[in-house]
Amino acid sequence: MEERIMYRTLLLILVLLFTVCLAGCYDLKEVDQRAYVIAMGLDKSERENQLKITYIIANPEVGSLVGGSTDEPPQETITVHSSDFITAKNTANTVVSKQLTYEMLQIMVVSEELASRKDFIRWFYDTTKDREIRRDTYLAISKEDASEYLQNNKPQLETRPHKYFQFMITRGVETGMLPDSTFHRFYEITEQDADLFLAIYTTSKPAKDPPARHEDEYMAGEVNAKGDANKTQFAGAAVFKEGVMIGKLNGQETRIASVLDETTDIKDVLSTIHDPFNKEYRLAVRILKKQNNEVTMNLEKSTPEIRIKVPLVVDVLSDRSMVDYTKDTRKREILRRQIKVDFEREYNGLIAKSQQEFKGCPFPLSLDARKYFLTIKEYKNFDWMKTYPDMDIHVTVNIFFTGFGKQTKVPNIKHMRD
Amino acid sequence: MRRKIFKRILKKIKTPTPNPPEVSSHGDIALKKQNIKETLDQNLKIFKYLYTVPDNVDVKIREITIPSLNRNAAILYIASISDVIDIEERILHPLLHHSDGSGKIENIVSAQTLKTAQKIEDIVNEVNGGVTALFVDGDRQCYLMEMQNFQSRSIGMAENEVVLKGPKESFTEKAIINISLVRKLIRDENLVAERTVISKRSNNGLFMLYVKDLVNDELLNEVKSRISKLDLAAVHSISFVEQLIEERKSSLFPTVLYTERPDRASAFLEEGHIVLMLDSSPACLIVPTTFWAHFHNPEEHYLRYPYGNFTRLLRFLALFIALFISPLYVAIANYHSGMIPPDLLLAIAATREKVPFPAIIEIIMMEFAFELIREAGLRVPSPIGPTIGIVGALILGQAAVQANIISPLVIIIVALGGLTSFAINDVNLNYTVRLMKFIFIFAAGILGVYGLTASFILCLFYMVSIKSFGVPYLAPYTPTYRSSEDIVTRKRIGSERFRPGYLKPKDSIKKGEV
Repeated sequence: MEERIMYRTLLLILVLLFTVCLAGCYDLKEVDQRAYVIAMGLDKSERENQLKITYIIANPEVGSLVGGSTDEPPQETITVHSSDFITAKNTANTVVSKQLTYEMLQIMVVSEELASRKDFIRWFYDTTKDREIRRDTYLAISKEDASEYLQNNKPQLETRPHKYFQFMITRGVETGMLPDSTFHRFYEITEQDADLFLAIYTTSKPAKDPPARHEDEYMAGEVNAKGDANKTQFAGAAVFKEGVMIGKLNGQETRIASVLDETTDIKDVLSTIHDPFNKEYRLAVRILKKQNNEVTMNLEKSTPEIRIKVPLVVDVLSDRSMVDYTKDTRKREILRRQIKVDFEREYNGLIAKSQQEFKGCPFPLSLDARKYFLTIKEYKNFDWMKTYPDMDIHVTVNIFFTGFGKQTKVPNIKHMRD
Repeated sequence: MRRKIFKRILKKIKTPTPNPPEVSSHGDIALKKQNIKETLDQNLKIFKYLYTVPDNVDVKIREITIPSLNRNAAILYIASISDVIDIEERILHPLLHHSDGSGKIENIVSAQTLKTAQKIEDIVNEVNGGVTALFVDGDRQCYLMEMQNFQSRSIGMAENEVVLKGPKESFTEKAIINISLVRKLIRDENLVAERTVISKRSNNGLFMLYVKDLVNDELLNEVKSRISKLDLAAVHSISFVEQLIEERKSSLFPTVLYTERPDRASAFLEEGHIVLMLDSSPACLIVPTTFWAHFHNPEEHYLRYPYGNFTRLLRFLALFIALFISPLYVAIANYHSGMIPPDLLLAIAATREKVPFPAIIEIIMMEFAFELIREAGLRVPSPIGPTIGIVGALILGQAAVQANIISPLVIIIVALGGLTSFAINDVNLNYTVRLMKFIFIFAAGILGVYGLTASFILCLFYMVSIKSFGVPYLAPYTPTYRSSEDIVTRKRIGSERFRPGYLKPKDSIKKGEV
């Protein structure tokens, strides 16, 4: 009995030992032996079926106190040519000493030229194959070549590249100027084949003396920013239909798409509207969305009818015409009407543009439509993407006021200037 | 072929080592089996031989003549464990000065207890326990009077299980005092303290305390049978008993609770547990126990409900941090660097860049150093104690980082792991956690988080399989029993209505609805 137990124990130890020897330590790699790719740029190479791949690799020693401050640059940018970005890791090792890893990849920048090609999606879907690439990585489209873009991008304060992209994008999504364009959303929307995917639009080559517009009606590169800050601009969105870039939305349109989109969160949208009491002035407002949109559809009709009610909470921040809204219900009502009319024009404008220009919806409206179908087959037969341009869609906005600035009282100009 | 190799290994393990020749003591054993003789001279000769008088300096024999009986007599006692003044006052003085002629020893001596014995073996055992023996010429029996006075420390403060609120007394190295401390808390005629001698040579007595009308009889018999099976020459600490009666002797998990607090022992007694005490141990054992008993601290019931639960949750968290922080670091740094936030990952990479060792070696080195500081700190004589702190903190911490041997993050991790392990109060469970940690570190080093999870699940399998005196280790959590649900958190005192169902107590309801 004793012998049997001992025999078994010895055997068990051996088996465990073999298991460990055979299976253990697979893909072990120490953190300090890797080069962390923060941003990857994709361009079409001069050679057919090849990509020009640009990497921004973070230098871990910069910004860490314990390692001792170094004079080394915070990042390293290299460009290589390869047939895909998975094997390019090895190609890059001819220049970079450590094993490249995509584990910290924050952003993939694709040039507008490549994104507009039909075969872009074939390369892009390699992101689902690589084990290291995360689905919360952002997709951005650059106006110029991605290699040029990443080369030019030199943040002054957030010198560590991952911090720069992280802050830039999360803030952009919060203000609504940038779409929430993670890889995951790309796969989701593209595979649903019903709506349009919006990707972040950016450029490092701003236009010379661009025309001045209202606060959010810019595309990246159109903001006339002077000074010695980084030249890179993030604003607006690139529109993808079935995995191909077909157009662009400016900041305002991106914001509207975000407001209409229930799957993203906007937090801090500052905008201006016409002042109802003086056509020359504009009123600053903060728009908050606290409730979900109410979507009603009638898809039985020959022209399907969709009504979207958007409840918006508005905080009026400026008052150039010096009207005391708090004491006057009538004036508040005038203001409400003005905002409503302005917003509804903008919102319906975007829908009209998407129907005519893109022939697809820039926010996932099809999600709301699904519950109107009993079977998947019915839904597929309906063919949302094809039907969308002919639909009768109307957006109405409900405005709730929360405040009129810190101090609500304004002096009477007439009395002051007498 | 395979069997042959195994057999060869087994044979090597099994070969006995040679023994030195033994000297027979059959003569002494036969002598002890006899009754005492009729004459005093014969008896004294026997006992002088047995006790090696006069070489044995603290064994005293005082020969007297009792005037009232006009017979020779002698008292035998061991001076070092007897109350000499009591002997003088209660035995010698009455014997020498008594003039009443009733002729009965019982009426002459004023000792508190008096019994008689004939067998030499019995007399010897009693005398060894501090009893004074009186031999009277012509009597075929010996009078035994309890005069013992073992020297011991007075009742001290609990040093290993410190509480802020609650009783401060702790057990001391004398069972009578210890039982007194328990009886002070449980004034109940049903509290039974049974004594059995468990060692052959040193005659150490083991006290078994239980509340008669609560404890489950089957459990009581189980404990009794395990104790009766003990075959020992001498037991000097209750810890030996602990190791002898537990079920899995080489398991990492403790199944017997060791405590030095009378209040804790009483609390367990009143739930239907059994407490074991040794004549000379400053602690008691509580059986059966569950994992939770080891994890709990008496303080949590003395503190108010929210505070008590706060400490509970804190300790629960500490348990997991102590177990997993180092292994998780090893796993994540080696296999899953994508799980770390970018800032931290870069910081780790930056500090690790100059360190020559792989992460697992680094962690094991630091863990080893920490265990060393702990062990050394425990054994070091108190005058040089502070040196340990300085050497430990400065040399190992600061200097190792500056010398690029250890990355600073590892110091934080190991220090945090060490600190949290101190929050686990129970000595046994503390060792369990510290040793398990090393298993997890290796598992994480070999197979990453997968290995860590797999080994933790195996550990849970094992824990579920353990029993302590028939009680499942994780009861009443799994399997579920009716109890006061004093598990991870505790209920309000008023709601703790039931005795733990896994003990199958005779009376399972403590009190009515409050």
